[in-house]
Amino acid sequence: MTSAQTKKELTKEFKDVKYILTSSMRTKLLLAVYDNPKNLDELRNELKKPSATILHGLKELESINLMRKAQKYYELTSNGYLLTANMIKLIDNWYSLSKSEIFWNNHDLSDIPEEIIRNVYLLKNGEYISSTTSDLSIAFNRYIKLISKAKELTILLPIYSENHFKHIIDLLNKGKLKKLELIVSEEIYNSIKKNRLFEKELLENKKVNTTVTDKNFKIFLTYSEEFISLTLFFKDGHYDDSQILIAKDDDAKKWALSIIKLFER
Amino acid sequence: MYVNNGIDNEIRFLAQSEIRMKILSELNKCPDNVKGLVKSTKITYSSVSSNITKLEENNYIKKVDGIYYVDPMAKIYFKTLIDFKKSIEIIKNYNSFWDKHNLKLMSLDSMRNINDLKNCKLIETTPIDIYKTHNTIKKQLVKSKNVKAIFPYLHPEYPKLIEGILKNNGSVELILPKGIVKAILTPIDERLKRDATGRGKLKVYPVRDDLNLYLTLCDDTMSLGLFKNDGSFDQNRILISDDKKSYAWAEDLFKHVKHKVVL
Repeated sequence: MTSAQTKKELTKEFKDVKYILTSSMRTKLLLAVYDNPKNLDELRNELKKPSATILHGLKELESINLMRKAQKYYELTSNGYLLTANMIKLIDNWYSLSKSEIFWNNHDLSDIPEEIIRNVYLLKNGEYISSTTSDLSIAFNRYIKLISKAKELTILLPIYSENHFKHIIDLLNKGKLKKLELIVSEEIYNSIKKNRLFEKELLENKKVNTTVTDKNFKIFLTYSEEFISLTLFFKDGHYDDSQILIAKDDDAKKWALSIIKLFER
Repeated sequence: MYVNNGIDNEIRFLAQSEIRMKILSELNKCPDNVKGLVKSTKITYSSVSSNITKLEENNYIKKVDGIYYVDPMAKIYFKTLIDFKKSIEIIKNYNSFWDKHNLKLMSLDSMRNINDLKNCKLIETTPIDIYKTHNTIKKQLVKSKNVKAIFPYLHPEYPKLIEGILKNNGSVELILPKGIVKAILTPIDERLKRDATGRGKLKVYPVRDDLNLYLTLCDDTMSLGLFKNDGSFDQNRILISDDKKSYAWAEDLFKHVKHKVVL
């Protein structure tokens, strides 16, 4: 038998997280009043459970100071609000991960700090697009379409790709693109420099601001006011142009900015 | 809306069992065999081994040459669960700070990133030191060169403290309720004030709405104070920290408030 002492310590360590997450009634109640206080009728309608069950759950949450009753309405206490915000973060994290497990699992994530991966809940509205065997360039074409609408772009660029450069130069010369922040490693920078056309149209372009990083990196991240996109490398070191993550909401932009911040001077 | 049943069940699979959570957190630190796990967790062999089997069946861990490893994806899942556990701890540890206090001016991000405050210290006044909170912040204001602050009320010492910073060629950025702007600024030397404003060293943002939050960013130290639900400022407790994460957290909150309420 596990000693009583060990059992006690284990129970104590995980008590709260277990108490909250193992009862679907308690979690549902917390989520139900997260946006607005609700009365018993409303809760009964929403959760489709008998009053007794709901009242029991509410009492439990009141007793640990997560919920309170004010004039027939149940609302979260400040502790309850903090806890529920973080519980939603947890649920969204799991949802985002399960939605995109293949994307994260297939790729080399070593250049994305673990802390930033743990904020994957910010990408919960993201869309994962894969090329197919009948159309190998779905991901690339979507990307080009997206950047062609942007006025300003920040690109963390880990690859030397003439195809990409030609499109970007086109957008700078003829398109809407007014400003490009280009973040590249020294290796990529030197490769661009060797091509006279790219040197002139990209590195010497007044609309382009180039930052050269000390180290190579394996994240192809694009940030603009309208969207963010991410492509990665396979674990064997090759760039994967077949899968792209695209997202357009503010949370996703926050996520992307947290990565860009790591590379900015 | 939020409850996706599949995910609910998966989270519950881990959260239900302290033993599974303990095994995962040990394996996360260091891959090990069953014997080693029995030793490091002090849980019986039979419990460890039956839960190992369950974790393996659910793809949380993999066995290679008798050693169990946490699957890379499972690691991320598990860590987000531990993050949640830590946020509960922070809520509990600073219970008197949050409980019955107004969080309306805090951004959703600042709540979701509450773990950044794990190295904060809760300073509370005591019957023999009833000005402990004020004096702690004052000490920092005196020695700081760059100060950003949200002062929701007037303390009679603030004008002098601000004047001191400006005299040392420091910079001050303040978010204040409209009603106290004059009272804070008037006592400060006129020329100093004009000069500092001209050089961008003194910025004052008056706010019309209720300012239910107290926040200071002094050089490397942050402090946070809240209002009680009854509308009064809680002078008896502040969170304070000089670690980088708390400071960055406070900086983001300052930006948020500036964006949200400044006229």
